[in-house]
Amino acid sequence: MGARNTDVSFGWVTRALHWAMALGVLAMLGFGSYIARMEVGMSNIWMFGVHKSIGIVLFALLALRIVWHFVSPVLESLPSGVAWKDRAAAWVHRAFYVLLIVVPLSGWIGSGATGLDVLLFNRVTLPPLAPVSETWEEAAFAVHFVATKLLALCVVLHIAGAVMRKDGTLGRMVRGV
Amino acid sequence: MKIILATFCLWVAAAVSVWAMPLSYALDAGESRVGFEVPFGPDQITGTMPVRSADIALDFAQPSNSRISVVLDVGNAQANFPFATQALRGPRVLDAAAFPDITFVSNSIEVQRDAPSKARLGGDITIRGVTRPIVLDVELFRPAGRAPGERELLFVRLEGAVSRAAFGATGWDDLVGDEVSLDLMLRIDLEE
Repeated sequence: MGARNTDVSFGWVTRALHWAMALGVLAMLGFGSYIARMEVGMSNIWMFGVHKSIGIVLFALLALRIVWHFVSPVLESLPSGVAWKDRAAAWVHRAFYVLLIVVPLSGWIGSGATGLDVLLFNRVTLPPLAPVSETWEEAAFAVHFVATKLLALCVVLHIAGAVMRKDGTLGRMVRGV
Repeated sequence: MKIILATFCLWVAAAVSVWAMPLSYALDAGESRVGFEVPFGPDQITGTMPVRSADIALDFAQPSNSRISVVLDVGNAQANFPFATQALRGPRVLDAAAFPDITFVSNSIEVQRDAPSKARLGGDITIRGVTRPIVLDVELFRPAGRAPGERELLFVRLEGAVSRAAFGATGWDDLVGDEVSLDLMLRIDLEE
């Protein structure tokens, strides 16, 4: 199986990006919910840095994925035979792309607006995307909160659709064909 | 600093002093420090802040004539982890760019009858441009081994607490407590 997609199969690059992001998004939804509820102290404040770093990595993977789709266009979805299901699947896919931009971007904007550095794995300081401002911070984190809930909804719908369909859609993303 | 400090009953000794005027002292900034501590969840954020300057005059005959004023260097404050240092200096807490100094100016002193080396020092503290009254516990020490009555080299310890909210330094108040404990140890040398 090659790197590129063909008319009938997903190449390994598309599948690797899909599953790496799937794993990352699922982990981050759980991790983000955990750190939002925990009592913050010296022993766990490092978790925010890890959360931000993984978020930035997922953002970079999304950019790579979009570029890759231009290099090697994805296959057409298999028709389910039910029009509303096909439309729902298409909208969930579109929503994924929008939310996978909005979620990390809003987190980055909100973090920068606190006045604290946004560090990538404690090594690289990323530029702030907003002025230091409580208004920016609150607005960005409100967007982050809502967008993550919508992303979780999309994940549920996407997994449900993939599992319930018996037309080889899931197998195509696992094995390529 | 490996000096063993012993309590020095300066205020009492002064009662028989031949000196009638306040004695001026110069700050040894390198040997002086300001520690602070503030609750952070189940832990404490601790840190230090350099002393930029101090004006200290002690009148051992008339303690009420003594004066202590201290200027702290906010821009070089350090906390015990990097994010806390950045937050501390940033605009939501001390805003070092706009307010580079914290100042304290005494205006009253009340020596404790039962502990003559200790006193209650009243004054005004200015943080973020906001001035509020504060009362600090002050104690004088001399280094161990110095002769009683010797006043050339002294240590002044000042302890107290401030409310962050009272000065508008409210950043991250959902994570970090309001009351900040202060503990200043100043080394001072008698000026010629």
